[in-house]
Amino acid sequence: MTTNLASNRPDAETLKAFENDLNKIREDTMAKVGEKDARYIRKIIRIQRSSDILGRLSLVLGFFNPLFWIAGVALLALSKILDNMEIGHNIMHGQYDWMNDPHINSRKFDWDIWGDGASWKRYHNHEHHTYTNIIGKDRDYGYGLLRLSDDISWRPKNRFQFITYTLLSSFFQFGIAYHEVAGERIFAGKPKGNSILPISREELKHSFFAKIKKQVFKEYLFFPLLAALISWPMFFAVLAGNMIAEFIRNWWTSSVIFCGHFTEDAQTFDEAECENETRGEWYYRQILGSSNFDGSRKFHILTGHLSCQIEHHLYPDVPAHHYVDMAKQVQQVCGKYNIPYNTGSFAQQYWTVVKRVAKYSFPTEQEQAAAVS
Amino acid sequence: MNALIQPSLAQKGWSWFSQALTQHSSFSGYLQPLIQMLVPQWTTDAYRAQVVEVRDEMADMYTLVLKPQTGLIDRQWPEFIAGQFIELMVEKDGARTLRCFSISSSPAYYQKTGLIELSIRIQQQGRITPWIRQQLEPGSLVNISQAQGDFILPETMLYRRKAEKLLLIAGGSGITPFRSMLQQQTMQQLAMNKSMGESSPQLDIHLLYYSRDDQQVAFQQELEQLQQDYKSLTISFVDSEKEGFICAEHLQAYCSDYLERTAFICGPSPMIQQARKVLAEFEVASDKINFEFFGAAPIEIENSEQGVVLFQASEKTLVSEKDKTNTLLEQAEEMGIKPVSGCRIGVCHQCICKKKSGVVFNTRTQEYSDTGCEEIQLCISVAQGDVVLDL
Repeated sequence: MTTNLASNRPDAETLKAFENDLNKIREDTMAKVGEKDARYIRKIIRIQRSSDILGRLSLVLGFFNPLFWIAGVALLALSKILDNMEIGHNIMHGQYDWMNDPHINSRKFDWDIWGDGASWKRYHNHEHHTYTNIIGKDRDYGYGLLRLSDDISWRPKNRFQFITYTLLSSFFQFGIAYHEVAGERIFAGKPKGNSILPISREELKHSFFAKIKKQVFKEYLFFPLLAALISWPMFFAVLAGNMIAEFIRNWWTSSVIFCGHFTEDAQTFDEAECENETRGEWYYRQILGSSNFDGSRKFHILTGHLSCQIEHHLYPDVPAHHYVDMAKQVQQVCGKYNIPYNTGSFAQQYWTVVKRVAKYSFPTEQEQAAAVS
Repeated sequence: MNALIQPSLAQKGWSWFSQALTQHSSFSGYLQPLIQMLVPQWTTDAYRAQVVEVRDEMADMYTLVLKPQTGLIDRQWPEFIAGQFIELMVEKDGARTLRCFSISSSPAYYQKTGLIELSIRIQQQGRITPWIRQQLEPGSLVNISQAQGDFILPETMLYRRKAEKLLLIAGGSGITPFRSMLQQQTMQQLAMNKSMGESSPQLDIHLLYYSRDDQQVAFQQELEQLQQDYKSLTISFVDSEKEGFICAEHLQAYCSDYLERTAFICGPSPMIQQARKVLAEFEVASDKINFEFFGAAPIEIENSEQGVVLFQASEKTLVSEKDKTNTLLEQAEEMGIKPVSGCRIGVCHQCICKKKSGVVFNTRTQEYSDTGCEEIQLCISVAQGDVVLDL
């Protein structure tokens, strides 16, 4: 059920104090942002570019020894994960725009994934981050495929949604491109009366196909053909390597994101209740709708710091590697005002996601009763 | 014309290929972070220059002597014309900052030595100019753009039989482009004298140079030396503290044949406004008045009411007071939006943004925009009434 915000929310005065505390954390962190952050993101980009180049090289060297092929897949998967998570996602949130670097800039950056960066940015930053977990408004909620809350009435197809979930994770980049970014808006046809598109459907359509064409060319044609110059079976070795690297990346991003919003205690909201929210109320909803998980520093980097999904939703444009420190402070503030703060180990959180997908495969008791009568 | 602007099919194809493989419009953009490990400060969109010397000219003015880098990986820095400026890019606290400075040395000097000079006045409240003085030392690397700007002497003049007469009006650090022009004329003259004998034609130049006090005049000795080398150059040093700003009396007193001369003005914007006004009153044709100022021009808004600026993509609105003349860039930053920006004076076009509707005043061209959807430069646009931006 969507959370009844009005009756659960702390009173206005408390929320105001809460808002001020959270603002303070942001100000303190932003005061520290500078040269170190520029060095940090450039270092991560260097690691990503190196593993991209070495990975592709290594795949071809698989011709001499299969161990190279395995290393190649691992490096390529690492490159794609870093590119999508710590680099692309965060840059496109504008976290590094202050650097004024034309290549590390939310206006220009595009990532190594099917979904076109510019289209993704327009919708994700606006819709998902404003209407987080509001049923009917947040397109990320279940990606239009999964029933993850009883606010959505059960339909027979939900019986198989565990399979749907497995498929979605395996082909997550298509899921993102199709559902979140553009596809559905182009093909499904019904423009919503109240939604004002920042770009025309024609532009969306063009970006959608243009990006997929480029990605298909690169991963399934160009690099395999290049390898085929050595010997023709290498075409399939490289093609398979590229696909497996994408597959690993797809599962990784999907799992990280699901742990951010679809854990057992992550709450959902009703649109009407979120109108005219104050900043404090908005903060409050962001915290209830998101969940964190712990890990080592390297682990956080691989998740693009979406392991700190709560902080990401509170401060989407603060350079993400500050989130771990901010999380400690945010958790303290939440404790002070008795506001639930959803965190745990990755395994724990992921288990609750799996349970949630399974649980809502079945109709609620009322629905069952209604169906019988 | 179109053929020049539109990239060729091969260029388009190459760019598509690079996009497909690297998600960057050029391979060098993708590789830049790796290239920088070997070649510090290397960037795809600017040239590298090494600081050779930092020389103090006066208490509040210094000269950076730069050597644009050449080599395997560095593209050749393009030639410039005396009077042009460059963007100097430095990274302060991780953020790239751009400032425009006139090149104060001549192209002839660059050809001879491979060096260019920037003479920089320290802005007391400035964030960057004092910092550069402290930060840069011989050996430091900076990024520079290619030279730009059309504040230049007509290039063919030297070969005209009846040389055109010029009036240069400088205010304070506005002397820098003139130093370049005069140095260029003198060096060319010396070279021509060698080949043609003493009879080669000279440009008749009168420099009217305003400074705040007569104790400290930038490049005074040097200019006096030029005056000796270059016979048809006259320099009037004017102490604006004592004699005030430019006015009709000054023109008559120092350069009575001003009506025959083409004017070039460089200095602080109030001085430029004043000089233009004075010249206009004497009915000097506007195509005979050239001017250059760094720093977005101040403007007077005549009949604007309180206006609302809507930053559509960020969903923020700003109500600006009647007498405020902040640029849209400043207003966006005030709202916590961080648009890409560069020089902040309407030169580098980095802060281009789509205006959905409304009228803006361009402080550089002194023109009002159309009301419809168009691209504007945020840093030199002031909202006139309600404006909607795609930002």
